[in-house]
Amino acid sequence: MRTTWREHAYHAVLWLVALVFFAPIAWIILSSFKTADQILATPPVLLFRPTLDNYVQLFARESFLHQLFNSLFLSISAVLIAVAVSFLAAFSFSRFKPAGTDFLMFLLLSIRMLPGSAAILPVYLMYVGFGWKDTYAGMILFYAMFSIPFSVWILKGFIDGVSPRFDETGRVNGASWLRIITRTILPQVMPGVIAALIFNFIFVWNEFLFNYIIGGLQTSNVPVALTTGLYSSGGVDWTFISALTSVYLVPPVLVVYFFQRYLLVGMTFGTVRGEV
Amino acid sequence: MSRIRFEGLTKAYKGVMALDHVDLDVAPGSFTVLCGPPRSGKSVLCRLLVGLEAPDAGRILFNGHDIATVPAAERTLGYVPQSFALFPHVSVFDNIAYPLVLQRVAKPEIARRVAQAAELLRIGSLLQKRPAQLSGGEKQRAAIARGILKNADIFILDDPLVGLDFKLRERLMDDLKEMRRVLNATFLYATSDSLEALTMAQDLAVLDAGRLIQAGPVATVYLQPQHVRAAEMIGFPRCNVLPGSVAGGHCTTAAVGFPLAGDVAAGPVLVAIRPEHLMPTTDSMADGIGEITLIEDLGAECVVYFTVAGQSLVTLLPAAQAAAFDLGSRFAFALRPGTATLFSPATGQRVGQAQAAETVHA
Repeated sequence: MRTTWREHAYHAVLWLVALVFFAPIAWIILSSFKTADQILATPPVLLFRPTLDNYVQLFARESFLHQLFNSLFLSISAVLIAVAVSFLAAFSFSRFKPAGTDFLMFLLLSIRMLPGSAAILPVYLMYVGFGWKDTYAGMILFYAMFSIPFSVWILKGFIDGVSPRFDETGRVNGASWLRIITRTILPQVMPGVIAALIFNFIFVWNEFLFNYIIGGLQTSNVPVALTTGLYSSGGVDWTFISALTSVYLVPPVLVVYFFQRYLLVGMTFGTVRGEV
Repeated sequence: MSRIRFEGLTKAYKGVMALDHVDLDVAPGSFTVLCGPPRSGKSVLCRLLVGLEAPDAGRILFNGHDIATVPAAERTLGYVPQSFALFPHVSVFDNIAYPLVLQRVAKPEIARRVAQAAELLRIGSLLQKRPAQLSGGEKQRAAIARGILKNADIFILDDPLVGLDFKLRERLMDDLKEMRRVLNATFLYATSDSLEALTMAQDLAVLDAGRLIQAGPVATVYLQPQHVRAAEMIGFPRCNVLPGSVAGGHCTTAAVGFPLAGDVAAGPVLVAIRPEHLMPTTDSMADGIGEITLIEDLGAECVVYFTVAGQSLVTLLPAAQAAAFDLGSRFAFALRPGTATLFSPATGQRVGQAQAAETVHA
């Protein structure tokens, strides 16, 4: 089909919008290969000899690898636990419909309406009281707890879309509930499971407030490292910020790139069931 | 071979009665069809028998033993649910093999038996496909194959042909009858299509609003309905049911009158007349004369609708005979003696029968 000038104009606008949104990211990635003077130069330096010094210094920091590990470990383990628990909860809500299911589902969602700063004080007091502050188990528990409501919502929508006749076929033929859940239902709601994993991964990966307050040296993640390392020698340490941000961007970009079709399914809350 | 007996089976959902004290015997080796309109309790009966739900009251006897507490998996029953319920993420082979895999049957044996079932249902070439790649009829065959693969001598099929086109249904009906013969098993088959029920059934159980209104050999249910709803539901075209009144051993309706066999209490009645029992005749021999309002051509036969004294009736005529009539033409008809059945308007129960010997003109 012949492309018309309208389509060209449309594509040009799309590119323009994409560039506007991508510009800060491009700036920070380019800055990570510049010296401090080049970063702050006015007008901006567009042609420069790239340097890897920033990365060398970043990786030489003792705390950095530990914080990067914390980010990955906390995100992956909390999200896996959250999605596993949510899947079983969503299955129960969907199939057994316990009394008050609608209210419970509302309560679950209402947790998402609460701003983090409103919950931080009681959570902090609780964590200090229990001695959970700055422990991996405590952080994973918190992130899993915070990820569960949204996951239950997504997964219940997907499981509702799988006919109970599948479960019944399993039951009649002698399959255990565990087998029905893992072999019959799970494969059919995989897009929802992956969407829940991605959404929660991005949430935990980006989480700053709670890690800063109820975490500590042992469990601090990259967002906390970014904030606490922001100022050095009396000014903003742009070389550190740009290098760390560039590294920090890689995992979510990879996740979104490879699973973007599932992300769309998740955004529609299971209304586009399975068709990815 | 196993015998199933339902005794006083009752089930309600949120206060709405789905099954109301159902008593039914399913003879070993029979092809028993549960027939009734949607929400009459057919599927509920199947689900209770399979063990997917528990009855509120009553017993399900399996060779004399109550199986109320036996888990679904331990009831040796084959089950084909109403929807195909084929797992979309595995091949047709894996779908069919499912019951055997769960029974931990050896792989070569699974392959042999799946191939055998697939052969019986003519889906042998589709085993490596995914369910999404199959047509509606093929999916249904795969679901039936899975249902019959379990080691069982009783198979429950819950409206398995619903939604399929007529030709396909006809072929699958033949396949199912053949399968019952090959498997030498008892089939309990639920359907809301009375033509399907008549085609398939040896024994027929008619359900309406959760109550079993008649059960017995198919010819008996058809020719001697014990309830007006059984007369209405079973048969195509639909049975004529018209209000009438009884006085002095004679029944009178707006369209036709006839003498009664035996004593029937005087008063209002409902009269059921099968379409094929209203036959065209000459004016002098006629029990009534109507005017034709609609002719539906089915090819070899025609469904002819006519009105007599404001009463709409229907009859079934061979196409050659129907060719003599047009819309609006006179239709002189005679009622075959002894065929009309009388029911109580209050209870719907059968109260009498027309006399076989002679016909009295209205």
